[in-house]
Amino acid sequence: MLNKVEAHSMSGFPVARLSGVLLLLLAVAIAAFLHLSLGAKSIDWVTIWQALFEYNPLDMDQVIIRESRQARLIVSVVVGASLALAGVIMQAISSNPLADPGLLGINSGAAFFVVASLLFFPMFGQDYLPVFAFLGAAFAALLVILLSGWEQGSERLVLAGVVVTALFSAMTAILLLIDQQGLEKLRHWLTGAIGASDLKKLQWVYPYLIFAIVCCFTLVRSLNAFHLGERVAASLGVNVLLLKVSGLALVVVLSGCVVTVAGPIGFVGLVVPHVARLLVRNSYAWLFLYSLLIGTLLLILSDIAARIVLRPYEINTGIITAFVGAPVFIALVLRRMK
Amino acid sequence: MKQKQLPSRSVRIKLFSRMSFYARSNDVFWLLFFGLLLLFMLLWGAAIGSYQLSILKSWQIIIAPELAPEKLVRVVWEFRLPRLLVAALCGAALAIAGVILQSITRNALASPGLIGVEAGASATMLVFVVIVPGVIPVFLLPVFAMIGGFIVASCVWLLSSLRGYSPIRLVLVGVGITSMLSAFSEMLITYGDIDLVESALMWLGGSLHQASWPQVKVMMFWLLIAGSLAWLCFRQLNLLILGNKVAFSRGVDNRKAVPFLLLLCVALTSASVATAGTLTFVGLIAPHIARRFCANRHGALIPLSAVIGACLVVLGDSLGRSVFAPLQLPAGLVLVLIGAPYFIVLISRLRKA
Repeated sequence: MLNKVEAHSMSGFPVARLSGVLLLLLAVAIAAFLHLSLGAKSIDWVTIWQALFEYNPLDMDQVIIRESRQARLIVSVVVGASLALAGVIMQAISSNPLADPGLLGINSGAAFFVVASLLFFPMFGQDYLPVFAFLGAAFAALLVILLSGWEQGSERLVLAGVVVTALFSAMTAILLLIDQQGLEKLRHWLTGAIGASDLKKLQWVYPYLIFAIVCCFTLVRSLNAFHLGERVAASLGVNVLLLKVSGLALVVVLSGCVVTVAGPIGFVGLVVPHVARLLVRNSYAWLFLYSLLIGTLLLILSDIAARIVLRPYEINTGIITAFVGAPVFIALVLRRMK
Repeated sequence: MKQKQLPSRSVRIKLFSRMSFYARSNDVFWLLFFGLLLLFMLLWGAAIGSYQLSILKSWQIIIAPELAPEKLVRVVWEFRLPRLLVAALCGAALAIAGVILQSITRNALASPGLIGVEAGASATMLVFVVIVPGVIPVFLLPVFAMIGGFIVASCVWLLSSLRGYSPIRLVLVGVGITSMLSAFSEMLITYGDIDLVESALMWLGGSLHQASWPQVKVMMFWLLIAGSLAWLCFRQLNLLILGNKVAFSRGVDNRKAVPFLLLLCVALTSASVATAGTLTFVGLIAPHIARRFCANRHGALIPLSAVIGACLVVLGDSLGRSVFAPLQLPAGLVLVLIGAPYFIVLISRLRKA
């Protein structure tokens, strides 16, 4: 409430929102430090500082941080940010509070295409993996739209997503049953795992990711208008069809990239926009920024949890996000749906 | 009932001397048609496999086992028939559960897996197969899976009726709980011993390779009890799809009818999940196929979708056994593969109409 009043009274310079962003940045920084220090072996903060700024390759602890944890941290940040943005856009263009790339089957479509391409077209280099992931994500999204239609209610959209997820995960399961070694190699990736080696995969996708994230911010004006309703947006000069198609394309690219890097990670795109909307309500520019930061924070925290809950073993990050996200989903349903 | 109130083309069916009811001849025809189709599929399923028989031969062996060579009788009666019958019974049970769930949620996309039975049973099964293998004997596993399914389904029901029941809530809470449980199952699949996981995965995919005669009997028991109770509720279901208010005004209290019907649905689903793993896609498509022949008249819809569901699972299992032989694909996966494209076409057509 305070946010809103101040933003109006000090027209032009949103102090409250900027300070919110700064607070979130601080939280992300603290979480990042925790991420670097906690794990199978706890490392004190001085060593972390040295590893980052006065790197000494002979100190084993510093090597751990530089070689494995730092990579993992970067991957979590990128994954969290992209999933959160994808979630905001999906919920905006479908006008549906329950949209999420994981829940609607887009992630599983991308995952199926990646698995299929690894098994059937090993001759294509790994540079092509993101492209396959985009194809799969787009295909799944089209199926969901075909099943539910644009203007249907939440429930129908979610159920269409469940059907599409069932289809793609069955096909993935069949592929993996046919190719047993594939199961052994891919079963970690298939539940949304973040690992140190993923930094390499990030190099395949970062051009697409940067492009997509920049594009998200160009949609802000149209999304603000669209929030008032489809007709109002059209009367304000927004090309609604173009907005929906480009929004969908962005979701496809963002979640395709995430799936290529870390496997299907669900529920981040569902939870983060809702948390962000508790803080900002009326402007998509701020909503994007807040969601970006909250998504990053959530994923860093989940990754910390994934590594310390069953120390010295690691749980997949995707499983942690499901455990966090599913109760939020249920709470949303119970509060919002009648 | 007076004669003139009846729909135009109908036949009187006498069940016992004092119990008779009227059925449209159309429905009777389709029921017989799919019944014969099921019979044919069973024969075909009994004929194909690593030891190929002709359909005529399998008919002879089933009708008169004492005349056929002993080896063939063993193949058909000990391996193939129980498997086929379990497939058919599970398919029928799931299809009935699907009809019930789609009608009480008034949603064409609802499937019996949605209320958490499947996920609960799978998670329980995985716990006992992967984490604590050997704690309970193998033949009790289905019982535990069934209990797990029941517990999860009642959690979904309680949560969704916490602030007043509504079909949307039921379905969406089910989706939430299901995805949480499947995250748990995935965790076990990812970190478990690969051999244990492998066998659990076969089961989870809806595999029938361990089917035996006792399973046929158990499944038959559940199908007869819960299925016939569901069929006797066809009038309530006919009214419930018109909305709670209409149903209430015609004397169906949805606060009493819905929990009872859900209970039947859970019983049918968990019995078949416990016997044959996750096959629940049948519960989604069989009612839709049946509806093309008899619309939403549940008196005909329930038996017809049961027969169609049985056909589908038998078909899926036979294809899974034969197409990639010697590799056996689980019937559930084959069904999703065949069923999902058909389903997508069907739904998009329904939407346009």
